[in-house]
Amino acid sequence: MSPDCPEPSDRKVPKDSPESKAPFSPSSARAKAKGPIALAIGCLVFLLAPFILAGLKIQATPYILDLLSMVGLYALLALSLNVILGLGGMFHMGHAAFFAMGAYVTANLNLTYGWPILATLPAAALAAGLMALIVAFPVIHLRGDYLLIVTIGIVEIVKIALTNDIFGLTGGPNGLIGISRPTLFGYRLSRPQDFFYLIWIMVALTVILFHWLENSRFGRALKYIKEDAVAAEGMGVNATAYKLMAFVIGAAWAGMAGTIFASKMRTISPDSFTFGESVVMFTIVILGGSGNQKGVILGAFLVICLPELFRDFQDMRLLAYGAALVAMMIFRPQGLWPPKAVQYNLPSPYKEKYPREGSC
Amino acid sequence: MAHFVEQIIYGLTVGSVYALIALGYTMVYGVMKLINFAHGELFTLGAFVGFFFLVTLDWGGVFGPALAIGLTIVMVSGSTALAGHLLERVAYRPLRHSDRLAAVVSALGASIFLQNVIMVVWGAQYRAYSASLLPQVIWRVAGQSFPLIRLFVFLTAILVMAGLYLFINHTRLGLAIRAAAIDQGAAKLMGVDVRKVIAVVFIIGPALGGLAGLLVGVYYGQINFNMGQLYGLKAFTAAVIGGIGNIPGAMVGGLLLGLLETLGDAYVSGAWKDAIAFVALILILVFRPTGILRERVAEKL
Amino acid sequence: MDRGVIGVSLAMILGLTISLMAVAGPQGAQAADIVKIGVMAPTTGPWATEGQDMVKVIEILTEKVNSSGSLKGSAVRLVIGDDGGNPKTAALAAQRLVTSGVLAVVGTYGSAVTEASQDIYDEAGVVQVATGSTSIRLSEKGLKRFFRTCPRDDEQGRVLAAKVKSLGFTRPAIVHDNTSYARGLADETRDILRKAGQKEVYFDAINPGERDFAVVLSKIKAKDPDVIIFTGYYPEAALILRQKAGLGWNVPIIGGDATNNRSLVELAGQAAAAGYYFVSPPGPGDMKSAAAQDFFKVYEGKNGGLPSSVWSVLAGDAFSVIMDAVINGAEDSAAVATYLHNTLKDYPGLSGAISFNEKGDRVGEVYRLYRVDDKGQFVLQN
Repeated sequence: MSPDCPEPSDRKVPKDSPESKAPFSPSSARAKAKGPIALAIGCLVFLLAPFILAGLKIQATPYILDLLSMVGLYALLALSLNVILGLGGMFHMGHAAFFAMGAYVTANLNLTYGWPILATLPAAALAAGLMALIVAFPVIHLRGDYLLIVTIGIVEIVKIALTNDIFGLTGGPNGLIGISRPTLFGYRLSRPQDFFYLIWIMVALTVILFHWLENSRFGRALKYIKEDAVAAEGMGVNATAYKLMAFVIGAAWAGMAGTIFASKMRTISPDSFTFGESVVMFTIVILGGSGNQKGVILGAFLVICLPELFRDFQDMRLLAYGAALVAMMIFRPQGLWPPKAVQYNLPSPYKEKYPREGSC
Repeated sequence: MAHFVEQIIYGLTVGSVYALIALGYTMVYGVMKLINFAHGELFTLGAFVGFFFLVTLDWGGVFGPALAIGLTIVMVSGSTALAGHLLERVAYRPLRHSDRLAAVVSALGASIFLQNVIMVVWGAQYRAYSASLLPQVIWRVAGQSFPLIRLFVFLTAILVMAGLYLFINHTRLGLAIRAAAIDQGAAKLMGVDVRKVIAVVFIIGPALGGLAGLLVGVYYGQINFNMGQLYGLKAFTAAVIGGIGNIPGAMVGGLLLGLLETLGDAYVSGAWKDAIAFVALILILVFRPTGILRERVAEKL
Repeated sequence: MDRGVIGVSLAMILGLTISLMAVAGPQGAQAADIVKIGVMAPTTGPWATEGQDMVKVIEILTEKVNSSGSLKGSAVRLVIGDDGGNPKTAALAAQRLVTSGVLAVVGTYGSAVTEASQDIYDEAGVVQVATGSTSIRLSEKGLKRFFRTCPRDDEQGRVLAAKVKSLGFTRPAIVHDNTSYARGLADETRDILRKAGQKEVYFDAINPGERDFAVVLSKIKAKDPDVIIFTGYYPEAALILRQKAGLGWNVPIIGGDATNNRSLVELAGQAAAAGYYFVSPPGPGDMKSAAAQDFFKVYEGKNGGLPSSVWSVLAGDAFSVIMDAVINGAEDSAAVATYLHNTLKDYPGLSGAISFNEKGDRVGEVYRLYRVDDKGQFVLQN
């Protein structure tokens, strides 16, 4: 029980859990209501950012929007990694491999067969998911750091394969160029604000979907496995199957992020899918608050924007960034915005007996 | 056949450097369950400190080669040990009781920081150790040539590792380290000063990494600020192959990885050799999920 | 608590945005007499040496332009964007340079990095003059405002193959390092040699960043070539030279322009580097014009040595041709592009006469053959 255990009033009641219908509903509806309102206003302001920035006649608008798109892309990647790392508790440091898979599948379908970009989204997701299934199946039982090194190995192997022009599909070290921009109802998305909306709408959909997933039977099973795999197995939860499923879902999402990335950059090369990229995604999740989607998005803001902010330091730029990472972890070891512990309403006699039960 | 023997010798030299660095990863991991991602940068630091004394201050000219190398070894291991100790104090100690992944990210941050400190201090350019520091003796056996210095690199690494092995297995402090690696709580109850053990581990590990950096500098003659990335990753892989947390495992893992790489390079393809090494790593872990020499720590679920 | 966290993070995001605006430079009314030139260079990351040299060279030239008064009252200001040697960072750097209102951009070094930024400059209509990106396809896309002061890989491949032949070698082994540049040059050279009936005896990659190439050398040696063609960069070239000498094997090596770096000899050791050939545009030491001599005197005085390679000098030339356009009345990017395409002829740059063809490539023969002599000097051959 650590001191930063949330106040009892913060308890979260999953909507579809039977407990929410119990008579012991939380009394602090007031405190509960304000958070989401503030968040909603924040989101609204954010979504209007292109208009606000343009309205203020800020010259750097395209740069800021591009940067925010980049933040959104990494938020997408980190949210997908969060399913594996935050919910599933699997140390996965090779997410760039699936990101690459999606990007290269999109590029090939688009360049060779002329598929429109958005039509390649499901194909990219499928390919990345399938790849995850194949590579994760033999290693999913590895624990902790052994899984970590295997996933690093996977991302290295993928990069080497891309560089060596495997099956003649990757263009070798030069990569592939001339990927189309996405078109939506006949409109070609190309300006920074187009991508800003495309990416952030995808982020919003992802958040909603993963939120639902987190509180579903699947999500609860994953949390159980993460807390205590042996007990979960004992209760009849098939840990391997659930972990594998989490891995595949996370990978498929990274594949879709790859689609967006390929069409935004219009040129992809192995340099964009290195181990270093995987580390960036990993850092976002842990720094933001592994397991909490809001935290992960906040993490994406920090990790992507900080090096940009430090641009004026020139060659001291990354030095400052490294120091900031260490400092943030020391001051917020749980991440900047950790998830609240799940607390279920218990009948009151039980509550009196164990007043502050809950895993923090 | 001679060609094959030649490849084996190359593999062992490359592997012994990996092993030396891997020891630092494995010792820290054994005691703290922490992957010290900044270890590769301590290796780089060792190479640059050696550069400072041997090239910038030209100790080789001042003291003569043998004494200069001896003194440099002392300075390099001393300063990397100090850096490792500071690293532990600043970046890891506050996180000892937190989530393990927090320490991993802190380590990643420290790695970026250290690498760029080295870049700012010594510049981004490649630096050269003088080529004349070590005698270039070539040994010819059955029509193949073996540079004698490879043997020297290999023997140095083996000697250091043997010393470490004796230290861990035959001294009281070594016993304490082993005890803390198995169960910190129990070790504490038995009167082991765990803080001291951690401090010692963070002195020995970085010192060995720094020595490896010096060795690479002297032997290959060229160092640069991001050389630790590749060596760090390879050495970490080696530690895991051997069974992370296990000291003989790091040696076996290092040598094996060196051999895998060279044989892959020699008989398959240079472009794919790292992929071959990583595939081998994955296969080893699939069949022996905790490395070749099993990790000697209590199962933690 | 929830509210607090939301408040804090909203404040953080707001703060980030505001400071980003500040970073992105002053907004609104621009002083009309400031000409902004962007410099996209890898000042961090693996090619930080090159990037930092590029900035140093251009800064000296900027000072010179500003103090000479040739801009008639206006002044040049540099906006520096670090591309980190990485395509993704480059895309952001490019967008930032574009939005800070630069007239033209100098840079950058790596071909893949330049490629990631080309579209952004093109869509914004900003002139880009690349400095070290030799990949062929960069100028084959029909971009109207893309130029480069460096030659292309096909030109280099042609010269490299020709020199291999004229030096009398018939059994070449080709080694590259799987980077975009080295692979391209290796392929180009191999194809030309094959057409001339000289099939290579060996073709494979090494991994950049690695230190031990003994295995590669022993593999090559088994094929008994009479020359090794290495198309990668100078650090690996130095290691190969050094380790080859360590084996007591004296097959000649010939390299490409990425090995034209003064550190090569230092890294390989004088004895091991002696006899090494490479093709390259003339290096800083061989730029004999009076202007170049003056410039390098200033540079040496400031930085205690010459620029380590030719690429940063080409960045200086890129800056100079843009300035020439501005001095001759070009007020916007379109005018600069037109000037560079049509008007500029044989501009006296540090690296020699500069003109561009319709693709934006530099015209004229620039590659020369060099040989490293026993004292470690790069000696121009003919």
